[in-house]
Amino acid sequence: MNSRPPKERLELPLVKAPDSIWTSIEAALDAQIQSTAARPRQFWAWGLGAAALIVIGVFVWRAANTPKPEWNVVRVDGQPSIGSRPIGDAAKIAAGERLRTDASSRARIAVSDIGTVEVSPNTQIQMVAARPSEQRLKLISGEIAASVSAPPRLFFVDTPASTAVDLGCAYTMKADGEGNGILRVTLGWVSLEWEGRESLVPAGASCRTRKKVGPGTPFFEDASQLLKDAVAGFDFNGASDADLETVLAEARVRDTLTLWHLLSRVAPADRPRVYRRIAEIAPPPATVSRDKILQLDRAALKLWREELAWKW
Amino acid sequence: MVAGLSDREITADIIESCRKGDREAFHALFLAYKDKVYSIALYFFHGDEAAAGDITQQVFLKLLLGIGQFRNEADFSTWLYRLVVNACMDGARRAKPQKLVSREIDIDTLPGTESLERDFARAQTARSVRAALAALPVKFRLPVLLRYFEDLSYSEMASAMKCSMGTVASRLNRAHKMLAEKLEFLR
Repeated sequence: MNSRPPKERLELPLVKAPDSIWTSIEAALDAQIQSTAARPRQFWAWGLGAAALIVIGVFVWRAANTPKPEWNVVRVDGQPSIGSRPIGDAAKIAAGERLRTDASSRARIAVSDIGTVEVSPNTQIQMVAARPSEQRLKLISGEIAASVSAPPRLFFVDTPASTAVDLGCAYTMKADGEGNGILRVTLGWVSLEWEGRESLVPAGASCRTRKKVGPGTPFFEDASQLLKDAVAGFDFNGASDADLETVLAEARVRDTLTLWHLLSRVAPADRPRVYRRIAEIAPPPATVSRDKILQLDRAALKLWREELAWKW
Repeated sequence: MVAGLSDREITADIIESCRKGDREAFHALFLAYKDKVYSIALYFFHGDEAAAGDITQQVFLKLLLGIGQFRNEADFSTWLYRLVVNACMDGARRAKPQKLVSREIDIDTLPGTESLERDFARAQTARSVRAALAALPVKFRLPVLLRYFEDLSYSEMASAMKCSMGTVASRLNRAHKMLAEKLEFLR
């Protein structure tokens, strides 16, 4: 038999999607984009009265539809403020402005039309940019929960010790004024980057950040406490041999996420131990050689990561 | 206006209309791709219609809410299938602890299929193929579904699955070998 069954032999009929899916989508769309969709129609209606009004109407319509460097903010609890002014039920935040919440207040930001950011109590954020190619905020201190539906690398959150780059996801990010904190991803992927150091964090995993160090090594929340503590010790407390040994011993298949990141973070003399442990749990594909991995060959590391990622 | 178009007829104009919030254009886009997205999810989740419906809704909602960021058709198609891959993978991860529902797809009850009851042999074949496909590991199942339902190129699949073309080629090759072995008796 030919090793590739012809498509017609697969006999997989295309299945009609139920009509109810569109009804649900419309309901969700109505809730999220109704106000945006309604605005231009209003202007055109007003413009029908007189030629002058039409001209003005068109002008205003264009102005209203030009993306503005500001986001809508709604008060969820208490009395959040933008700059020195308390916001009412709703407000707008512009580039450069800061939003603050106290111990009893919370706010929600609509990040253009790509998602939302929930701002927890005792948090301070600054809006940095709202361009079609870049939506960026700075988490000065506190905690936010972001939920974004956008192409990868469009939404960014800066802290003093990291930048969370959205790869299509939902996550929470916590940081103090110096950048010490933690990222927890609940959906999709986030790339946590800082001064050439990069941690890829999938759903279910977390990654700590630390002042002057940047992102630590990502780990799954359901990993053993021993592993999680040892990762923290390794990242931010001297990278001891005991911590590395604990991580290697405690690692499950899924924890190859942590081990793969450690390949490029351990001392060269320790790299073979890390390689050996990953290979025991999840052997590399035939195209990935031990030597290339130990040399930190980018292509080989990427190939192995792609293979391992199916288990993350 | 534009309802009932095939995916091949989805033009930059329609995508542009979607970007402006045109609901009819949204609907046309949905109609053009919904069955493929739903079918991929349905076969991926072993015939679980509820999971396939959730994935389809999730994919289109993300697509429509983010479409304002797109500039051309090529990006659109790649992004659509990346969303499908991500949603399926996330769904599989979430379902892991409880094990996926593995309700057998009953071809006779599927809407939109031909009258297969008139061809018992063909239905049996179809059942065997679906069982073989469902038995493939996730990483091999997805490329087969993307290739079969959307005939994506290797580079499009690589982009959707965030891996290299070599990886796509090797996974497809292995998947086809596994399917061929499992379906040997059909020859």
